Amino acid sequence: MTLHATGLSLAADGVDHLKEVTATFRPGRLHTVIGRTLAGKTTLLRVLAGLQRVDSGSLTRDGADFLRTPVWRRDTAMVYQQFINYPHLDVRDNVAFPLRRAGLAREEIERRVEQSLARVGLAEFKERRPSQLSGGQQQRVAIARALAREASILLFDEPFANLDYKLREQLREEFKTLFSDQGDAVVIYTTTDPAEAMMLGDVVLVMHEGRIVQAGAPHEVFDRPATTTVARIVNDPPMNVFPGRIDGDLITVAGLPAGGVPGHLAGLADGAYQFGLRATDVGLAQSGVEGEVTFVEISGSETFVHAVAGQTPFVMQIEGIHDVALGEQVFMRLRPERLFAFDEEGALVRSPACETVLAGGR
Amino acid sequence: MPRLYPAFKYTVIALWACFVAGPFMWAATTSFKDANAVQGGATYLPWLQYEPTATGWRNIFGGSGGVDVLGPFLNSALVTVAASAISLVLGSLAAYGLSRFRYRAGFVKNSDIVFFFVSQRIMPPVVLVVPFFYLLQVAGLLDTVPGLVIVTVALLLPIAVWVMVDFFNGIPREIDEMAMLDGCNPLTAFTRAILPNSLPGLTVAAMFCAVFGWNDFFFAFRLTFTEIQTLPQAIVALNSSIPPWWTLSAAALFGISPLVLLAIWVERYLSKGNLSGAIR
Amino acid sequence: MARLDLADVGHSYVPDAAEERWALKPLRLTFEDARTYALVGPSGCGKSTLLGILSGLVTPSRGRVLFDGADVTDLPTKARNIAQVFQFPVIYRSMTVYDNLAFPLRCRRWDRARIDAKVRQVAEALDLGGRLRQQARRLTADDKQLISLGRGLVRDDVAALLMDEPLTTIDPQLKFTLRRKIREITEQFRPTVIYVTHDQYEAMSFAQELLVMDGGRVVQQGTPEQLFEAPSSTYVGWFIGSPPMNFLTVEHAREGLSLGGRPLAAAWDAPQVTARPQVGIRPEYVRIVTEPGANTFPARLRGVQDHGAQRVLEVDLAGQPVRAKVPREDGVPGVEEFLVHLPRTKILPYVDGRLATLP
Repeated sequence: MTLHATGLSLAADGVDHLKEVTATFRPGRLHTVIGRTLAGKTTLLRVLAGLQRVDSGSLTRDGADFLRTPVWRRDTAMVYQQFINYPHLDVRDNVAFPLRRAGLAREEIERRVEQSLARVGLAEFKERRPSQLSGGQQQRVAIARALAREASILLFDEPFANLDYKLREQLREEFKTLFSDQGDAVVIYTTTDPAEAMMLGDVVLVMHEGRIVQAGAPHEVFDRPATTTVARIVNDPPMNVFPGRIDGDLITVAGLPAGGVPGHLAGLADGAYQFGLRATDVGLAQSGVEGEVTFVEISGSETFVHAVAGQTPFVMQIEGIHDVALGEQVFMRLRPERLFAFDEEGALVRSPACETVLAGGR
Repeated sequence: MPRLYPAFKYTVIALWACFVAGPFMWAATTSFKDANAVQGGATYLPWLQYEPTATGWRNIFGGSGGVDVLGPFLNSALVTVAASAISLVLGSLAAYGLSRFRYRAGFVKNSDIVFFFVSQRIMPPVVLVVPFFYLLQVAGLLDTVPGLVIVTVALLLPIAVWVMVDFFNGIPREIDEMAMLDGCNPLTAFTRAILPNSLPGLTVAAMFCAVFGWNDFFFAFRLTFTEIQTLPQAIVALNSSIPPWWTLSAAALFGISPLVLLAIWVERYLSKGNLSGAIR
Repeated sequence: MARLDLADVGHSYVPDAAEERWALKPLRLTFEDARTYALVGPSGCGKSTLLGILSGLVTPSRGRVLFDGADVTDLPTKARNIAQVFQFPVIYRSMTVYDNLAFPLRCRRWDRARIDAKVRQVAEALDLGGRLRQQARRLTADDKQLISLGRGLVRDDVAALLMDEPLTTIDPQLKFTLRRKIREITEQFRPTVIYVTHDQYEAMSFAQELLVMDGGRVVQQGTPEQLFEAPSSTYVGWFIGSPPMNFLTVEHAREGLSLGGRPLAAAWDAPQVTARPQVGIRPEYVRIVTEPGANTFPARLRGVQDHGAQRVLEVDLAGQPVRAKVPREDGVPGVEEFLVHLPRTKILPYVDGRLATLP
């Protein structure tokens, strides 16, 4: 079963929620849709589910029109960001609800409910009402209901965004195993977190302002972001992007003294460029670019140091947890061999060499 | 100062309690008096101040010199239950539509439609009674139970719609959506996913309907004559030039008893926490 | 602002319960003046009880609460001079931003000029300077939360600022800016802050010191760096850091410890216990190497998680799972069997789930 969207557009109150969205969702693949809040990710899922109409465009399922199929005949399961369950039903009946609607035999319902609750680790909570469960457990109930249906389209709208991070870490790891044997189902998962998109996705679609701005295998999107916008979206913290110039074999970036053009950028025409550098490729050093620390964040096991050099803000990602004071003067080392070069409109011109990868990629 | 405050608080509460309970006390004592005791000034303590008799109570159940309130009671019950049930069914369907779908006719939007429903209760009943009279006459339903049920539905429907719209707005829309994704069409989504979660709202709406339906006097008075009579009508009919206060009191207490029982039941239901917290 | 002391404070919601079952086991704590603290832990760990005791909402079953040395144990909330920010913004919807901020001062009968100066100073810091005349109800959720915070900051006499999960209801996109704003403001006004959250990122980004709570106890108190580098228990090692710390069961050898039959060198002496010790190491410090040497062990690759700029390699080391976090550019080992290096200085000893000796 393949879903094919062509030119889907939806605007309301002068805002484009979807703009000319064309994409193919293939069976047995996990598609992650990454974009910032309000990029149109939720709207896209709602259109695929039949919960929202579009202004124009077409949607087909195995070549047959799917836009006019009502929600209840789409064989689609969805898990919302908010933990949505039926408040009046206990966990068992919550999971059984769609199976009863589908008119399955009693024993079959029983079997699937048991099985899917066991898989999400809620076998002992069958008698509870959703309101008696923690947020993480409520979301597991919603996932169990989606699992039990064995639906042909599975949609996940930032399912773990409202959970705290230890739980998110755990569920994210379980997720791939849970849905690895969904056979021919089309699985679509939206997120704002690049690590999640990369880790879960067989295919990554990047959305921005209602458009799909890039789609491809995770490493393709990550290693060769088509534009500066994509580069910012698929990196957390966002990729540092700053203006610069190439003049012969000299390169100037962010108003800093000129240096030699690194090997991978050799042969680029003279002129103005935008350069990109991942937060992991800017580091604290004993000497280098001087900047002032404006903010420090800690994320899991990394420290993100935000600093301003002249007028250019930088963010550095440093492994481990470090105590860096606000307002401190620091030196940053930019790694020229890791520079991405974009033209003035923001389209990718040259990317740094990719590392050797065991499987997939080059 | 801090010691005075509780004293003040409880005095105010006690005064208010007397003010509310006073008329009931009066009616309760009067219903057990005879003509002499009633004429003998304000007395409240049975056996000490007057000799209690059950004449008033016997009178309302067909005793000599009284009326039978059982017939009117059944009429009232029939009209109230039927009209409330119809109003709840139609009202929650209408409210669900108003809560979930957007309607627009010119400048008229959902909120205007809800206001239109409620506005029917703003008009003085006198304005409505003439058209109702005419319509029932044309349909041949004057002085009949079905006629009175229809009129009462018209009165109760706005209340049901108003209460239920507010309640449905509080149920996340995602629950309907999920039900439809789970294979329900819009109607089964309503009956299987939304209604079971709406018991608290339905209870409140049903209570309002019951109270307003039960207490209606004006329309019953103007639209029924000889064939049927409702309880409020029967009670008022007792009020002749020399009112039999004991019978009147007994009838009045009997008339409000179903509402008191209903209130006690709903209150218990409320305190068990069944109403609040059903959603989240 | 003040220094807060808890002297032997404990609390049980059930009277006469055994101490093991208290919601907060008796403890001794000091919150220094002008420092920021975060209480973190799962729900039911006792952090809300502790906050309640500080705010006066809960009278502890035992012990005394001191604000700058003065006993406030029996004082109600309003007599303690604390400012609170809750999950949901508490604002007067009908008032302007200015009146919201001025309200606590008017209640204290400050004169107008003084109120005006203070309100403007705080509003400037909150970036609300240009919106003082706006109705508070028209603001976004994060700005409303800033006003809740600002109302605590305008008062000069506040002993401490208590924040109870202030970012919970804020849109994820706005969380970052609000967190940054709160951090900047606390740097500027330097109140004593006690911040309760279940989100470790938030706690570590915000506070100078963290108190990790579990089962009614403070299991570790320290700077984010200390919690990361030397977790006092396997629980803290799991709770702080993502992915969590690796823990490997090791054997006593003739000299020191061994792992999978090979000697394991460490910067400390092996704990003298009969129980089998564990060693902990952060995934960040586990290295994939090609040359055999000290503390290198053969390993097999079991799985790869691609996080973007980093990869987490799931590795089987002597039958035990170990995670290594490696930069993307290092790639994935091209052979099935390879060597893993556990740096000597980054290994910590754990016995019965607790850190045994500090190196």
